[in-house]
Amino acid sequence: MSQSLAPECTPLKHSYDACFNAWFEGYLEPAIAAGSNGGSGKNGSSAASPKAREEYSSKKAEEFEKNCGEVWRQYRSCVQGAVKEKGLDEMLKQAREDNPLKEPPLPSTSQSSSRS
Amino acid sequence: MWHKYPNPSSSHVTSVDVLDRTFDPKSGLVRTERIIGCKQNAPAWVIKLFGGSEQAFVREISFIDAANQTASITSMNLSLAQVATCYEQIQYSPASHDRTTFTQSAEIQARTSWRSVANGLENWLYARFQQNAQLGKAGFTDVLKRLWDERQLQLAGSSA
Repeated sequence: MSQSLAPECTPLKHSYDACFNAWFEGYLEPAIAAGSNGGSGKNGSSAASPKAREEYSSKKAEEFEKNCGEVWRQYRSCVQGAVKEKGLDEMLKQAREDNPLKEPPLPSTSQSSSRS
Repeated sequence: MWHKYPNPSSSHVTSVDVLDRTFDPKSGLVRTERIIGCKQNAPAWVIKLFGGSEQAFVREISFIDAANQTASITSMNLSLAQVATCYEQIQYSPASHDRTTFTQSAEIQARTSWRSVANGLENWLYARFQQNAQLGKAGFTDVLKRLWDERQLQLAGSSA
């Protein structure tokens, strides 16, 4: 397991990473199951409707909050403090201004590069 | 994908931290912002000219789209960004049921008007990108293999 940039945050980081990874694996489970069925039609729910998917995601979001919400907030505040202390916050601020990246980038920049 | 570090091909990575992570139940997208610390082997003249130190930091934004099974990772240097920037994009998307398309690109730009220095910097960064692009993919493939093996073991264990 990798370290935090601040040694004092490393234990919190490890707890958070473990919690998140367990949650995320559970979140992906239906997608993986649907994929490895190879469309054999074993269960018809593999192509879930958008509404069903959203319900599932909301349930999962609640589960995350319940299991990992507290350790996440502790870890985050620890790292935020360390980032400030090391003077990285200014660089981050600049990078976020230059490239907010709030939305995923458009797929494959190599072929379709017709920018207007 | 967040298991990418540590891996045997990236011993230069010294720390990995999540700064921000959001999950949008509507789209199912997970957005993660991380800060990655690495030891850089900058040429001595770069450190002499521009300052900076052995320790460098990179900001990385990733999006995981479970519904479409795609992942995109964008990263940029924080350290020495006033001197040169490297903006890298990686995408994983399904090509067929057992193949994945991997694309990787980078924009490298020196921000100094001193021509010979700019050229020297760009050349060095380009060479580093060539090296590390290969290593990064090899490293992540190692990690995926490890996760896959662990999973097979788990499955074997639970059905035994």
